[in-house]
Amino acid sequence: MNLKRAVIICSIFLAFLLGFSLIGATAAEPIKLGAVYPLGDITGDQGVKAMKLAVKEINDAGGLLGRPVELIVIDDEMKPEKGSAAIEKLATVDKVDIFVGGMASGVLLAQIPIMKKYEKVTVWTGAAYNGCEKALGPDANWFFHLHPWDYQQGESYVEGWAAVTTKYPQVKMARQFWAYEEGAFGTGSFKASKTLYKNAAIEGESFKSAAVGGGDYRAVLRHAKEFNPDLFIWVGYAADALPIMEQSKEIDFNPPVFLGSPPGWPADFGKSPLAEGVTLYGMWAPSIKEVSPVSKHFWDAYIKMYREEPATYFAPLAYTDVMFVAAGIKKAGTLDKAALIKALEETKYVSPLGETLTIKPSNIIKHQGFTKQKILQWQNGVQQVIWPFEFSKAKIVSPFPSWKKR
Amino acid sequence: MKELFKQRIWQWVLASLILAVALACWKPYVLVEGIQRSSLYAMIALPMALVLGIVGIVNLAHGEFMMLGAYLAYWLNVHFGMDPFAAMFPAFIAFAVIGVISYLTTIKYVLGAPELNQLLLTFGLAMILQQLANLVWTSQPLKVHLGYVSASAAIGSFSFGTFEFVYVAAAAILLGGLLLFLKHTRLGQAALAVGQNPRGAKLVGINVDQTYLIIFSLSIALVGAIGAIFMTRHSIFPLVGGAYTLKSFCLIAMAGMGNLAGIAVFSLILGVSESLVLSLRGYAGWADIIFFALITGVIIVKSHQRQIR
Repeated sequence: MNLKRAVIICSIFLAFLLGFSLIGATAAEPIKLGAVYPLGDITGDQGVKAMKLAVKEINDAGGLLGRPVELIVIDDEMKPEKGSAAIEKLATVDKVDIFVGGMASGVLLAQIPIMKKYEKVTVWTGAAYNGCEKALGPDANWFFHLHPWDYQQGESYVEGWAAVTTKYPQVKMARQFWAYEEGAFGTGSFKASKTLYKNAAIEGESFKSAAVGGGDYRAVLRHAKEFNPDLFIWVGYAADALPIMEQSKEIDFNPPVFLGSPPGWPADFGKSPLAEGVTLYGMWAPSIKEVSPVSKHFWDAYIKMYREEPATYFAPLAYTDVMFVAAGIKKAGTLDKAALIKALEETKYVSPLGETLTIKPSNIIKHQGFTKQKILQWQNGVQQVIWPFEFSKAKIVSPFPSWKKR
Repeated sequence: MKELFKQRIWQWVLASLILAVALACWKPYVLVEGIQRSSLYAMIALPMALVLGIVGIVNLAHGEFMMLGAYLAYWLNVHFGMDPFAAMFPAFIAFAVIGVISYLTTIKYVLGAPELNQLLLTFGLAMILQQLANLVWTSQPLKVHLGYVSASAAIGSFSFGTFEFVYVAAAAILLGGLLLFLKHTRLGQAALAVGQNPRGAKLVGINVDQTYLIIFSLSIALVGAIGAIFMTRHSIFPLVGGAYTLKSFCLIAMAGMGNLAGIAVFSLILGVSESLVLSLRGYAGWADIIFFALITGVIIVKSHQRQIR
């Protein structure tokens, strides 16, 4: 009898112990965000840092749904095969709740079949190539794309330049010369320009980017000089940025608007005297902190945490990614997929990029975030917003300053 | 036969001069930029040709050693304010040491191995060096802005860049220096003997292993120092050297093993041809096709000549 009583007491005690341990385990179980970025590139490096900052702020404020948030990062090295393997690992080994991050379109194209296999809620910061949208298809309601697609970027440039030329009549767009790298990125951009700027006289020529063994741009620059354009735009990579400026100076090519459109700028480009007056496209510039309190908060917190300035728009974009997910989870009150998707659709997040992030359909997918790029310009070593005017604190430097005066 | 050969050489020289004058009148910048471009190719290819001609190994990590030399010069510039031209000297010494280490730890063991093994080893070495650079400096391109690289001059209405004549001077000094070294020093003559017949050279008392070590290290030291010149005008990143390894190898294939002067000649032909194609609006994409078409053409003609002989 005593033995029977002892067994019952022990069983009750063990059941309580098990119950408490289960409750404890659930309470400590973090919400896992799985990020994939190219860590060797400044976009991935600073993107991850910004995400860690966002996660720290969320956890300092008590986490989400009473649980801490954990960020698991995998480096895709900008290689498609590594990117797809990263998604597989995050889904099966790390068992993350949500996929975040992303930079290159080529990597996303390889990741899409794996993402479709697991259909986890995904909030992606990168990939502008519209082929990714086609690969995703209209049924991928679990996919949220924050970066504008290439055609949306093009439309925003047309809108932006129309506004700039109206405000600054000295800026003209009638004659454009496009120097584009000979790969898919450059060629595609040039082809798209012809449909976007129907009323402009557009000439273009390819060049071999330094990224693939080129680096001598003098021939294409001479052709541009002969064309005498109102706007000269080069579409290439970060490795081309400074050499193109040096060689333009060498042959004294001084177009009224000198525009560069690489995916990322090299470190310290702004410190070169040749950067002054170069126009560029981007989603964010440090000067936005002067008009946006959220951007100011992000800027200060990032510098405090890392003792370096965010130098690419992927930093505030990645921060936005995590904060947007957090806002969605809070709104849903659960990690249930359908509820979370609905909550993200309804979430409005005031982002450090300046705009408020809301979700709308794009040409194919249901969940598109930002749709516009901004027109920026290097002035005194800093990127200044020229358009949209609501974020602008600087006037455009036009015409492009003469080489002889630098 | 010798007379006929001499006559043909003079015919080629005369035809080239006429072409050069015509080009200078029509598009002078094609000639100037072509010479500058060809000198860059020759400057990088010459140390590779030295190793291939004497040690008999295709160093597929050649461009990666140049890339590391460029990073060293960048680092010296950023941290100590050293001009890249001054950084050539520490780079030369550092890469001579790196060359010795590379030879003793890797190259030495595949000298007698089949060519495929040699290629695989140097390819592996190239991968290691690329990844090492990726780990240390990341894939983000780096470029120091040097005011003097945009220097230009004008003759009448024709303006052209003058800085790249540094490549011309460097290629000429390198070619002249290597020819003098090989023909007028005991070590150079020993190296030539080893390159032609290692077994015979060993029989007459030349230390073949030591000669290989010196020539390989000299080649790496030279390409490391060239990296310092290269970074004055080019962005540097871990993969920047690969394309130049390929171009150097192609030039050596055209000129023939160990033919250093031939490299200068074929670089000139390639550089000016590329420059000419690039000057034609809308044909920029043809430059690479011309490059490889010329290589294929030259190799076919050479093998045909060999068969006739």
